[in-house]
Amino acid sequence: MSGLRRRFAPRNDGVASPAVIVHGRRLSYQSRRRLFLILLGAPALIYVVAIALWPLARGIGYSFYDYSLLPARTAFVGLDNYAALWTNEAARQSIVTTAVFTIAAVALEFALGLGLALLLWRDHPFQRACLALLLIPVTVTPIVAGLVFRALLAPDYGLIGYYLATSGLSSPHGLFGDPTTALSTLVAVDAWQWSPFMALILLAGLKSLPTDILEAAEADGATALQRFRMIVFPMLLPAVFLALVLRTMDAFRIFDIVFATTNGGPADATNVLMIYAVKQGLEFFNIGFASAIANLMILCIAVFSILFIALVRRADKRANEL
Amino acid sequence: MRTRYLLRVAAAISLAALSSASAADKPYDGVTLTLASQNDQFATVMADLAPKFKEATGVTVKVDILSYPELLSKVTADFVGHTKGYDLATMDIVWAGQFAEGGYTVDLTDWIKRDAAEIKPDDIYPVLMSALGNYKGKQVAFPFAGYANVLAYRTDLYAAAGLKPPETMEDMVANAYKLTDPPKHYGFVANGQKGPAVAQDWMQYNAEMGGSILGADGKPALNSEANIKGLTVYKNLFDKTAPPGAADYDWGGREESFRQGLAAQMQTWSIGAPGYSNPEMSKIVGKVAITVAPPGKGLPKKYGVGGWGMSINADIDQKHKEAAWLWIKWLTSPAVHKEFNLRGAGSYLRISETHDPDLVAKFSFLPVVDEVFKNGDGEYRPRIPQYPQIQDLLGTAVNAVLVGHADPKKALDDAQAEAVKLF
Repeated sequence: MSGLRRRFAPRNDGVASPAVIVHGRRLSYQSRRRLFLILLGAPALIYVVAIALWPLARGIGYSFYDYSLLPARTAFVGLDNYAALWTNEAARQSIVTTAVFTIAAVALEFALGLGLALLLWRDHPFQRACLALLLIPVTVTPIVAGLVFRALLAPDYGLIGYYLATSGLSSPHGLFGDPTTALSTLVAVDAWQWSPFMALILLAGLKSLPTDILEAAEADGATALQRFRMIVFPMLLPAVFLALVLRTMDAFRIFDIVFATTNGGPADATNVLMIYAVKQGLEFFNIGFASAIANLMILCIAVFSILFIALVRRADKRANEL
Repeated sequence: MRTRYLLRVAAAISLAALSSASAADKPYDGVTLTLASQNDQFATVMADLAPKFKEATGVTVKVDILSYPELLSKVTADFVGHTKGYDLATMDIVWAGQFAEGGYTVDLTDWIKRDAAEIKPDDIYPVLMSALGNYKGKQVAFPFAGYANVLAYRTDLYAAAGLKPPETMEDMVANAYKLTDPPKHYGFVANGQKGPAVAQDWMQYNAEMGGSILGADGKPALNSEANIKGLTVYKNLFDKTAPPGAADYDWGGREESFRQGLAAQMQTWSIGAPGYSNPEMSKIVGKVAITVAPPGKGLPKKYGVGGWGMSINADIDQKHKEAAWLWIKWLTSPAVHKEFNLRGAGSYLRISETHDPDLVAKFSFLPVVDEVFKNGDGEYRPRIPQYPQIQDLLGTAVNAVLVGHADPKKALDDAQAEAVKLF
């Protein structure tokens, strides 16, 4: 701000007003206004640059290096870290595991959420009470949810796991201890926690639907299924896509529940990308490779978001045309 | 008037003499040291003893108690970033290679020689001096908490079955089968959880059965015949003699299952032994004995040793380094270290401690700890810079075998293929 000083100068209306002189030039009202707005936004901008953009830029930079803290080494390797995400079997497996988890969890949560939203659509005290109760899982910290389910499903002493193991419904190692059931159990835990959230968004969408169209369709003899298929669902699409984008972004970067229940095991059955990235970064201090994993995740989430936002806009437009 | 003046002068001289004597006694008075400590039993005892050290030396020691991963990441970030956040750090036996290669901690070799009369190194078990901080001739940490791998077994179950404590690994395995009576109790328990838990326990059993992680050339030999055999035995023990959830047990789960009476025997660190006699946490009070972990038949007596050394940050100034060294010497001095253990630190170091009548009266298993330390092996977990990655590979491979996802040979072949890339 050197070179910037203030003095009183006559405004157009002849009233003395503060003017700003920068490097000997008096600024116009528009320029002063722009400068004022920039100064207003500067703290937020500095904050975003310092907290988000600068670390992101550093992370992108590190990903092109074989940068390790222990033992200390730094060497430029170009795209090798990104290539290793596919050539390294553990990394490739963790990408596949993350994709399977995300698709399965979001699909299950959407199905359950939509069902719950339709059940709770009527504005009745019973439905309102149910909605309040259903939201309890959303308020639980994910790591606590993970610890609770780990204890519940333990084959030795778990309230559920013991009976599942002794009756032969799960392996003797328990649902989390068997590579064939661990990931699907994690999907179920995630669905327990987040289906109500999905239901809440979809319910908000349902409540905003114009009732006159539905009443007219009912008067014309349309069945409930026809009304849902031809009117409700198309008009609900903006809310559907919003719910899907939020949950997809969240499910893709799942960490807490996996960390608390399986920590990526048994074997590598639940080794999702975040668990793998944390291990590379904070256990092996392999910062270059960990940055490449993080950047891949950011890229995937950005692509999902752009895709879903485009779909939301299209659906919104179509819903308005109905 | 003159007399009063003379008295004043005399008082002033006395005060000055006293203060200079105090400054000479306490050259580091006013210095504050920050110590990053693992959250083991010794941590709170160290924090409790710190005020006594301040009384004696004027140096304040702040103990920052951290979980294992937190300790490693915070200390590493501090050392690598040269931020001088910690003056002292507890160092796990397996970190020595990494920190020594980076030159992050003070080499204490010359100071130990300089202060030998004070330290009495002859009273420290050689295996602890070597394993808990010596790397390629450099003493990058000073030992202060030695743990002995021991066998804890249920005397009542052994007596009921007419069994004797095992003298060989083969006996222990045979006893495990005989003592398994599900769901009442199981003959054996060990860590099975993916990651460091299963890797470290298996490396211990494997070493006792004659296996080794590195070959004679210092390179990985994960898929050697001995290791495949060791893993097969471990897998069979889990399948036929361990509680069903053991494949997901870490140290806490394993100890808890033993204290709750679910398992008849297990190998464990000596630091956990006092817990078996504590009625607040144990259902097996008075029914447990501790003995040495049996080696394989015909194999030499080599018992697992672990624990912690204390290192000084190489970045801090000389005055803080000297003050930190003073703390280490004070904490490990015979009298203070005895007090440290009487307060329940469970961290043995000196030969005189395991023979001390007060300590032996309180902790009857100390002769076993003495036997382990005299024949200790601190190298069964290789203290090399690549250790974290090797441990991770084994942690995944062994767990995969235990849950039936892979057979021992294939799991160790795959781990070996990845391990050789690290060298």
